[in-house]
Amino acid sequence: MTPRVIVVTSGKGGVGKTTATANIAAALALLGNKVVAVDGDVGLRNLDVIMGLENRIVYTLVDAIEGNCRLNQTLIKDKRVDNLFMIPTAQSKTKDAVTSDQMVSVCSELRKDFDFVLIDSPAGIESGFRNASAGADEALVITTPEVSAVRDADRIIGLLESMEKSPIFLIVNRIRPQMVKKGDMLGVSDVLDILQIGLIGMVPDDENVVKSANEGKPLTLGDGAQAAVAFKNIAARITGKDIPFMNLEVPKKGFFARIKDAFGGGR
Amino acid sequence: MIKLKGMTGSIVRCVIPEDLPSADFNSEFGKVMETGGSILNGARIVLDFGARAISEATVTALLSGFVWPSGASVAAWITYDAVSQELLKRAGLRTSEPAPSEGGPCGALVLHRSLRSGQRVEHRGDVIITGHVNDGAEVLASGNITVLGRLNGLLHAGCEGGGEGEDPDTVVVSRCMEALQVRIGSKIGSLGRDAEWWGKRVVASVKDGAVLIEYWPFVKGENAGGVKEETA
Ligand SMILES: Nc1ncnc2c1ncn2[C@@H]1O[C@H](COP(=O)(O)OP(=O)(O)OP(=O)(O)O)[C@@H](O)[C@H]1O
Ligand SMILES: [Mg+2]
Repeated sequence: MTPRVIVVTSGKGGVGKTTATANIAAALALLGNKVVAVDGDVGLRNLDVIMGLENRIVYTLVDAIEGNCRLNQTLIKDKRVDNLFMIPTAQSKTKDAVTSDQMVSVCSELRKDFDFVLIDSPAGIESGFRNASAGADEALVITTPEVSAVRDADRIIGLLESMEKSPIFLIVNRIRPQMVKKGDMLGVSDVLDILQIGLIGMVPDDENVVKSANEGKPLTLGDGAQAAVAFKNIAARITGKDIPFMNLEVPKKGFFARIKDAFGGGR
Repeated sequence: MIKLKGMTGSIVRCVIPEDLPSADFNSEFGKVMETGGSILNGARIVLDFGARAISEATVTALLSGFVWPSGASVAAWITYDAVSQELLKRAGLRTSEPAPSEGGPCGALVLHRSLRSGQRVEHRGDVIITGHVNDGAEVLASGNITVLGRLNGLLHAGCEGGGEGEDPDTVVVSRCMEALQVRIGSKIGSLGRDAEWWGKRVVASVKDGAVLIEYWPFVKGENAGGVKEETA
């Protein structure tokens, strides 16, 4: 199959990019794909921690780019599952230590060896987002159902579209069914109505995510947790499988229903 | 494929599709010069990039590789990306539609799309948007603005008016009004989420020096949304 290079990104920070990258990468590997997760968030190393591989770092992406080592020397193999690798980034460098061109050539080298290259990126409003996503063909945009996160996601989707990424899919993370009606939380259908891109997954807010981050073991390597199921479903959908969505929310009226109300004298 | 379209007032519109990879610009603009060479020589052209963001490198490459050699002069660079618009303006380049005759009005601009946060449309004339205007998007029109989708962003109708020259008939029409502010001429209306017409179809206009929101179409005998606020 043709190798696929996918950037995992968001408008707002802290919405779950690194969590999603680690979990989807592990799930794709479990499905039998050869996967590498690249930490593209230069200067804010944490994909290695979430994946529990931080004690095995010898060289980083920046070392390879600066010519201190070859790219394949930066690869850390995950011992818990076949075919899962990661490339860590440097903590002590600025966001501009890796340029767009360098990222493009790193990705094209990785294409030769992997089915999937997943790139964790800085939030889109930060510098470094463009560099991290330069080598990717596709994008996964993560948002929480909050109004401000969705607005920032909208901005980033516009940027990704003008960077010619395709397809661009959406993951709505940290869904709390009871919270949807409250204040500035939107329902998934409202989020989709605003962003107008395809939904590839809905992930519940799950305390196991924090536990697994502390243990350094992606949830998808284990069983049971609701979020693990959600991330596994996303991985399966990425590979083209048609998996029904989990029922995470109370159905809520979307825009078109409201428009109909407006015309049907519903005011 | 890049298309050339005639416009009124001897302007040629050069439409660059959003899905054309920018790596193909060189060859595609080369083809345009081959096929449209005679039309371009001496023509005023509008380069229409849609929502595509354009970089310094693209602008300079187009000037030296296409605009100057073809003998055309650029009447406007159109992009809905607000950051690119700033870049172009700083180079003294025009980013809004040119009028067929200098100073005159343009026809309506119809956009069959939604505008995302960070996208902005400026037009001398009326603007009709069939999609949504999302939070963080902006539309500035010297004439009226109609939004058929949901309105969350910022609209400024009659944006060239102000004072004596203000057209009292300028309106904003929205089929689903969910914006916290709307501007008409020199007036700013601040709107509330708790308003009765929030999420409804409305028309906004200026009455007695303030922005007035009313249901649309007008319903006889029913009270309108009411005057909210006014700033000169
Ligand atoms: N589905 C979830 N349920 C509960 N907690 C979550 C979920 N997803 C992410 N989190 C928590 O949210 C926090 C931020 O997640 P993460 O680091 O993955 O975000 P990020 O987008 O990579 O952040 P940054 O922009 O700083 O890189 C972490 O503490 C993580 O454990
Ligand atoms: Mg992160």
